[in-house]
Amino acid sequence: MTVPRNDPTDTGGLFIGRRPGTGPIHYRTPPERGDARRRRGDALLAAAVLLVEALVVLSAFGPQPLGWLWVGSQVDYRSGSVFLGITVAFFGLIAAVILTLMVATRLDHVWRLLRRAAGHDQREGALGRIFMTAAIVAAIAFTVWLVLLEGPAPSVAPR
Amino acid sequence: MRRFREYYRQFEEMPPEEISLELRARRDEEKRRALSRVDPLDLSGIAWHEPPHPEAVNAATFALRRALNAYPDASATPVREALAERHGLAPAHVVLGHGAAELLRAACAVLLAAGGDALVGWPGWQPLPELVEAAGGRALPVAPTPPEILARAGAGTRAVLLTSPADPTGAVLSRAALRDVCTGVPEGVTVVVDEALGEFDPDGADAAGLVAEHPNLLVVRSFSKAHAMAGLRAGAALGPPELIERLAPSGGIGAPAQAAALWAVSDRGLEIAARRRAAAAAAHERLAAALAGSPLAALPASVPFAWISSDAEDGPAIAARLASQQVFVAPGRLWGDERHVRAALRGPAAVDRLAAALLG
Repeated sequence: MTVPRNDPTDTGGLFIGRRPGTGPIHYRTPPERGDARRRRGDALLAAAVLLVEALVVLSAFGPQPLGWLWVGSQVDYRSGSVFLGITVAFFGLIAAVILTLMVATRLDHVWRLLRRAAGHDQREGALGRIFMTAAIVAAIAFTVWLVLLEGPAPSVAPR
Repeated sequence: MRRFREYYRQFEEMPPEEISLELRARRDEEKRRALSRVDPLDLSGIAWHEPPHPEAVNAATFALRRALNAYPDASATPVREALAERHGLAPAHVVLGHGAAELLRAACAVLLAAGGDALVGWPGWQPLPELVEAAGGRALPVAPTPPEILARAGAGTRAVLLTSPADPTGAVLSRAALRDVCTGVPEGVTVVVDEALGEFDPDGADAAGLVAEHPNLLVVRSFSKAHAMAGLRAGAALGPPELIERLAPSGGIGAPAQAAALWAVSDRGLEIAARRRAAAAAAHERLAAALAGSPLAALPASVPFAWISSDAEDGPAIAARLASQQVFVAPGRLWGDERHVRAALRGPAAVDRLAAALLG
């Protein structure tokens, strides 16, 4: 069941006749949605984009740092300079995170359009929630790795 | 591919800055329209332009809330006594009706039941000839001066109907002139004076004070104009008891109307009416000052309307010119006059706009 977010008296005025933050989405022209089949397709596409977006964001908390650490170690090995290796790994990781956020933002935008095309009143993106969830998952995983796998645990119970 | 992208682009929302710009543009357009809009000003009616005094409304409201389930006092004794005392009469000389129009209709029906002629002072209250015809009489317009009236009054005359102050001219029939008419008309002729605008008479000039002297005089007054209570439909007639008792509406008038009328005839009510008379006189002076030096002129009066003419154009041309500026007046042709228009004077702002439209 769709629950309307707006009060029926949407005057567009400031806090007059509707709750703050519940204004309608301002389209340039009223959009014309496709038929039910197309809307179903858009919903599936939106789910796929959301999955890709989640994977992209998650990659910033594991694979990408590991990848840049590997690149840094290679630079260190080939140049004989630890400083250069650390510098390359650091700035490479920063650049990768920025690029990831740019890609994720684009994907989030596409996801919102697909959700609206599927018939949802989609006002906010999912990037913030995905980022927060990924950070929590990564923090837990890191803690488990640090404390249990590579921290004091092996000392307490040596292999 | 392009159509595919276009399809999804239609779901893009507008950025907040663009929304703000659009809302600002819309507000500016609304402001521009509001400034350029000229509201119509209807000056064709002569009901008082402001609500009645709050004390009058309180009196009517109190009566309304008190006992609306009960029938009102059919004889409206307190109001009749107050009116009679104010005019030096016995209460039997006074009756209340549903507005002056209804009392005039009843008077015509009684006086002209057997037919006959009625001399109607002209120009006067516009529906008077129709009331005469509806009662079965013949309306004969006559200039409202004693010589004219007495010259026209003959054996077939049953009534003389006069309006003072006259609508639309505002001309007042003096007491001396009215005495001459009352004493000069043939026996059996009743002189009826429509004094719906009586409170706008200069002090002491009203005809009601002559009722005690002349048994053939009937004066009809209203609470609609100077008391601003047109919506209550209350009026009073003062005259000989044998005629008065035939004008009484069966069941009397409503309790709220009686309560408001009782307040209106009190000292306080008359004080408020006097203020309205002063306001109307000031409006006349304001209009006269604005029209000074132009071909336009308004007859001097103390009524809340002006009878306006021009040396340069006729009445229909004045009315059409005013209408083109969204100011609407009553054309003089309603009284068979092609030279004048009647315009209500509804406060200084409306008078200024009327003057500007007349001169524009």
